Amino acid sequence: MSAVFAAGLILLAAAAAVDLGAGARWPRLMSVPYLLGAAGSGCLAAAGAGVLAGQHAQLAVSGWLGSGTLSTQTGGLVVDRLSGLFLLISFVAATGVSLAFASWAARPATITRAEPVRAAGRTLVGRRGLGASYALTLGAVAVIMTATDAFTALFAWETLTVAFYLLAGFERGRRGRPEGAFITLVFGRVSGAALLLGLLLLAARSHSLSLASFTQVSGGAARDAAEALLFAGFAVKVGLVPFQVWMPRGYPAAPGPARAIMAGVAVNVGFYGLWRTLELFGGAPAWLTSTVLVLAGTTALLGIAHAAVQQGLQRVIAYSSVENAGLILAGFGVALVGAAVHDRPLVAAGLLAATLQVVAHTAAKSLLFTSSAMIESESGTSDLDALYGTARRLPWSGTGLAIGSLTLAGLPLTAGFVSEWFLLESLMQQFRVPGLGYRLVLALAGAAVALTAGFAGVTFVRLVGFVVLGWRSSRPENAARAADGGAGRWRDYGWLGRVGLAILAAGCLLTAALLPLMIRVIAAGLSPIVPSPVTYGALKSPWVVQPVFDGFSILSPSWLWIAMPGLLAVVVIFTRLVSGSRMTRVRRVPAWRSATAGVEGADCYTAYGFANPTRRVLAAVLHTRAEVRTLAAEHEETADVPGGFSADDPARPEPGPPGTVVPYAGAYLGYRSDVIEVVETYLYRPLVQPLLMLVRAAKRLQSGRLDAYLAYMLIALIGLIAIVVALA
Amino acid sequence: MSPWVLRGLRNGVVTTRWPARADQYASSWRGPATVRAPVAPAGAGELTGAGELAGAGELAALCPTGAISVQPAAGVRLNVRLDVRLDQGKCILCGRCVAARPDTFAWSDGPGGAALTRGGLVVPEIPETPGNLARIREGLRLRTAALRRSVHLRHVDAGSDGAEEQEIQALLGPVYDIHRLGIFITASPRHADVLLVTGAGARGMIEPLRRTFDGMPEPKLVIAVGTDAVSGGLISPSYATAGGVGEAVGVDAWLPGSPPSPFSILHALLLVLGRLPGRDGPTRHGGAR
Amino acid sequence: MTPGQRPAGGLTVSTPSIMPASDVGALWDEVTGDVAGGHRFAGLMATQQADGILLSAHLAGPGGIVIREALLPPGADSYPALTPRLPAAFWYERLIHDLFGITPEGHPRLVPLVLPQHNGTAPRPRPGAPGGPEVIEPDEHSLPRHVTGPGLFTIPNGPVRSGVMESIEYLVETPGEDIPHLNMRVYYKHRGIEKRFEGMTPADGVLLAERTEGVASVAHALAYCHALERMAAVEVPWPAALVRVLHAELERLAGHLDVAMRLCDAAGLAVATARFALHKETVLRLVSQMCGSRFGRGVVVPGGVAAPPRVSTADLLDGLARLERSISGDVAVLMGTSSFLDRLRRTGPLRPERARAHGALGPVGRASGYDDDDRRARPYDGYAALDLPERLPHDQGDAMDRLQVRWDEVSGAMRLLRRAAEELAGAGDLADAGDLAAADGRAGARLRADCGVTDGRAVGWAEAPQGEVLYDVRIEAGRITRCRPRSASFHNLVLFHEVFAGDILTDFPFIEASFGLSIAGVAL
Repeated sequence: MSAVFAAGLILLAAAAAVDLGAGARWPRLMSVPYLLGAAGSGCLAAAGAGVLAGQHAQLAVSGWLGSGTLSTQTGGLVVDRLSGLFLLISFVAATGVSLAFASWAARPATITRAEPVRAAGRTLVGRRGLGASYALTLGAVAVIMTATDAFTALFAWETLTVAFYLLAGFERGRRGRPEGAFITLVFGRVSGAALLLGLLLLAARSHSLSLASFTQVSGGAARDAAEALLFAGFAVKVGLVPFQVWMPRGYPAAPGPARAIMAGVAVNVGFYGLWRTLELFGGAPAWLTSTVLVLAGTTALLGIAHAAVQQGLQRVIAYSSVENAGLILAGFGVALVGAAVHDRPLVAAGLLAATLQVVAHTAAKSLLFTSSAMIESESGTSDLDALYGTARRLPWSGTGLAIGSLTLAGLPLTAGFVSEWFLLESLMQQFRVPGLGYRLVLALAGAAVALTAGFAGVTFVRLVGFVVLGWRSSRPENAARAADGGAGRWRDYGWLGRVGLAILAAGCLLTAALLPLMIRVIAAGLSPIVPSPVTYGALKSPWVVQPVFDGFSILSPSWLWIAMPGLLAVVVIFTRLVSGSRMTRVRRVPAWRSATAGVEGADCYTAYGFANPTRRVLAAVLHTRAEVRTLAAEHEETADVPGGFSADDPARPEPGPPGTVVPYAGAYLGYRSDVIEVVETYLYRPLVQPLLMLVRAAKRLQSGRLDAYLAYMLIALIGLIAIVVALA
Repeated sequence: MSPWVLRGLRNGVVTTRWPARADQYASSWRGPATVRAPVAPAGAGELTGAGELAGAGELAALCPTGAISVQPAAGVRLNVRLDVRLDQGKCILCGRCVAARPDTFAWSDGPGGAALTRGGLVVPEIPETPGNLARIREGLRLRTAALRRSVHLRHVDAGSDGAEEQEIQALLGPVYDIHRLGIFITASPRHADVLLVTGAGARGMIEPLRRTFDGMPEPKLVIAVGTDAVSGGLISPSYATAGGVGEAVGVDAWLPGSPPSPFSILHALLLVLGRLPGRDGPTRHGGAR
Repeated sequence: MTPGQRPAGGLTVSTPSIMPASDVGALWDEVTGDVAGGHRFAGLMATQQADGILLSAHLAGPGGIVIREALLPPGADSYPALTPRLPAAFWYERLIHDLFGITPEGHPRLVPLVLPQHNGTAPRPRPGAPGGPEVIEPDEHSLPRHVTGPGLFTIPNGPVRSGVMESIEYLVETPGEDIPHLNMRVYYKHRGIEKRFEGMTPADGVLLAERTEGVASVAHALAYCHALERMAAVEVPWPAALVRVLHAELERLAGHLDVAMRLCDAAGLAVATARFALHKETVLRLVSQMCGSRFGRGVVVPGGVAAPPRVSTADLLDGLARLERSISGDVAVLMGTSSFLDRLRRTGPLRPERARAHGALGPVGRASGYDDDDRRARPYDGYAALDLPERLPHDQGDAMDRLQVRWDEVSGAMRLLRRAAEELAGAGDLADAGDLAAADGRAGARLRADCGVTDGRAVGWAEAPQGEVLYDVRIEAGRITRCRPRSASFHNLVLFHEVFAGDILTDFPFIEASFGLSIAGVAL
């Protein structure tokens, strides 16, 4: 297996090389890097699977990157079972995405249909470096998941941060991209710093950089602090509150399927890191556990609340990443509680649920971002209202979007349903935990997760209902867009891409259909943390599963897969028999719109309108603010006339400019309703201002005059000497 | 909710049993004016020459909507008699004719009043071609056979004065309660079997009316409710009305009245559904009073 | 007062003073001046005359209605709009634009109201001028949106609406749940009533007036007849005045009970809905037993009433007593049903200052603290003598207060009915009015003063369940040459544009029902 693993890394390197070397010159080679990447991903996935199957895989380089000099152990990359599990999950998805990526990259310039990229020469063959960044990302992911020493891990981690920056900033010519890239970089640095500190704290005590050695570190404040720092570092990557703010900006900034690589594949390093930390430390202090659970609940709720009201397709998906981070960490929190109370079945239940959620999220998120990439680049927009019914013109991407949405909405027959079931069940085990504290936080997280699961439906029905199922001809403006030459004939993914989508879709569906199999795989992967036999407790009988604990509740997704279609068929047949030929006889008449003479503009629910109830119901979370302004003239958005009022308070000021009284009925109004990112507004905004002032102050020192700098040095030197003397 | 349960029981059963049983209020109802006798008695009609026209004009002028028409009865020389006809489809129940010439005109009573043909509203009835009415009834029977005891109504206001709506609404109340007869009001024409059209056919409503009619599945029946809907009543002629809804949609039953009482509307419904007791129900317009 | 004696008040109020102004600008100055001086803007109408178009503004003051007029020169196709100075004229000027094709310059939104026409050259009915086009086809077209914003869309509710309702189209411009603003199209059931009046004999006119707004037949007939009577300067015999009050108040009862029924229906209170439907039916049957028509049609005639009630005063009082008992019982329970009241509180609020500025009529105005009741301020028929019961003040202006006001009026109507019935009993036997069965139209002098056909022009008013009904009638050579009915529904419905702020879709039926308007009176 070592060979396969190595081959995977080499293929990725080759991909980068080809892209940088040839990609720009020969457009026909445009898709080659991604094909190589797909092959590499395949190898890595195979390596992971092999290890789970009991084989061995490692890449031991003596003195690799000089780490040998730092410790007696040789550094290097070893695939143990946990790594294998995450390699398998991530790189199966990566394979699918890469295939789609290849098919997407083979067509030049579609991405620039929305707004021509300003930077010269970027409009046509503007993909040089994209493939390299992509390969770099995958490589870094693979290394992080297999690193055995802190140095390698950190190095790969920083590499990943850079790769993310390159991906997010790739289309820096387009609006919002540089900001997205910048914030991605900033938070990447923050996570890197946290990890660095944490690992150094540990290394300082274990006198070794090898991760394995950290297990010996004796307990105490330093150990806890280190663990907290590691948690924080990984939490940034997965987007736990309050670190989630970079995701809705960073992910959409990346071009096309690269988002899937970031949000679907690479995000798993964060989860891997947490899992690995749990393995190393075998638990966490109570305060940390509680914090994780509470933050997880908050994250899930906040994430779904925002996902439910976003207007941009990409932002909806990005925010659902935040939500899923919350869900997964809730399961992880259960495991932490289990570890704290030494209840191994509980650990197993929590980790199993969390890992299943990781699987579901990886597959669905990759699928969503991959399909939405094509939808966006073909329709030239990512505004949900403009996308009404567009997926009908891209059947493959549309189907992908639908399956991904249903999975994240947690509907039956999908992996999402299974994972959310396990998650809620594991949270319900709180009654087994001694002590009120843990029960309380578990109950809290449980409530939040349940609420989240509900709103997830509301969120994704928007995607399925409007983008996929929306009927274009019922919207004049869409019909117009279809008619005009701008759109022309839309081209969906080629056969390569379809294979890719199929792989990801299979991940969403088969995981549920073949759940027992999946559980065995996960059990093997989790064995470093909790012995497989314990996790096998989830298998009540070959095709029936339970939340590890016996006699609580059971479920059989596999049977659902047989029963639900069967019942549907029964209903259809029955109706057919009873109604005879009448069922097929259809008289087509215009839709009944209360016999109206027609209205101006949209005359049926918009995606925005559909989210409005959520906007009102969750006003406490979203700080929704709706206002109606009196406009100076018809269809004039800019010129405001004093007299805005909040639609929530009946007492409204008399609108219209003083002098001529515009009767309220005669005025033209502008309606606005926006939500607020609470964390950003109340946590970061206040921090930014002082920071900028500090920077400005520091700038004043940089006069640029050499003598001044020399003076600074002299002063510093004198100060140093003074201190030394004083201490001596 | 409990107080309401008790309130609901206060007055016992207030629902009428009509048409299964006679209803005092129904039979005391004062319908459109009718003509006592097909031929105006002496005094009115026994005129000659110019006087005849005068007499005719005087009779016809009684009606603000021109429902009364007078021709000399054919055949008779000297001692001419006037053949008086009254089109109940135009009668707005102002009662002037009855007040001025109680010898010639009278109120029709009872809840009847609807006719299956527009011509059928003219009294005294112009003898129909024998098979005609029977043929119409047969056609209706075939169309309504499938409806049985689940009939859904859709109402369209084509320029009414607002009173007809209240009378139709009353059918849903506890007193008339058409649900007991398996008749319901539905919101969407998709589910409707019978279309109740009120109003004088305001031109603004013609298109919406057609849309609603087209939105209904077969078989569908249309009832013109109220004198306005039948002929435009006093509202027409007007630049904004079409003089009734007849030309907008094919009407199966014509129900005069300004407005018709709930009983009359119910009668018209049962008439088109062929569900009146007896072979073809009580005579269309009751005896004179 | 001794029976039969003619009380003070009634028609002794000053007949409207007609004040011509030099030009439109001056007219608007006077009108706004009057409104600032406490008069209520009661309407604006135009009349096509040989020498141009006459603009007439009605201003309601204590004791009577003042008409201020200005003549547009022939061929003038525009005039400075009043709306920017007096928002209450918003719909009136749109109506004038539809009927005459003249443009009020500076009108904030001059879109069609009752007669949508794309090209301005289409023929207009131009009431006042004989003749006019045979047919005017309205062309359906969409109104410009009032509210713009991201993701906003319009829910067309109408013209064929769910349930048994009159035809109107409410355009709910919504971001999904809340209703920032309501738009509406009222043209669908425009019947051309104003034009139809022309050329009729005054006697036929009352029949048409009764059919202008069916649910306020009596009030419309009264307002119309008051105009004629004021023209002929005749006084209605005291018993006739009492009969008129009886029918007017019964109509009020029926109207308010109908509103209560619809509110309960909106709240899904099945039993309550049935109860109030039953009470309403009881009232309608009482009316039909008195006069043969369930809506009191054919009762009011110029100069008095057509016939005495066919129900003995004793039976009437007895029926009323029973009705009042069961109604008050149900009202008590209803106003204790919190699930119902919660839907009404703070729903569809109309702020008092807006109500006053607009001169909101009837219960809608009263609920917002603006109470200008014709029966009190400009009494007619029996009302001056029958001293109206005092009303409790309300100023929340929400659906709750509108219902409360209606309950007050129901009990008030009950009291008036009792007083009138007693008076009528005291007024002696009306048998000499002739054989009750066939006396219609030939009631004796005690029920009907001779209101001969006299040429002239006068305004008549009456308080309908929805509020004040106003008739401006002009008769030349024994024929009506111009008759402009102005229902309370027309004046109040425009307020719909602004009472929805902050309310959500499910509040809609409550707000609509609480206004209790009739579209027939709007589109005419």
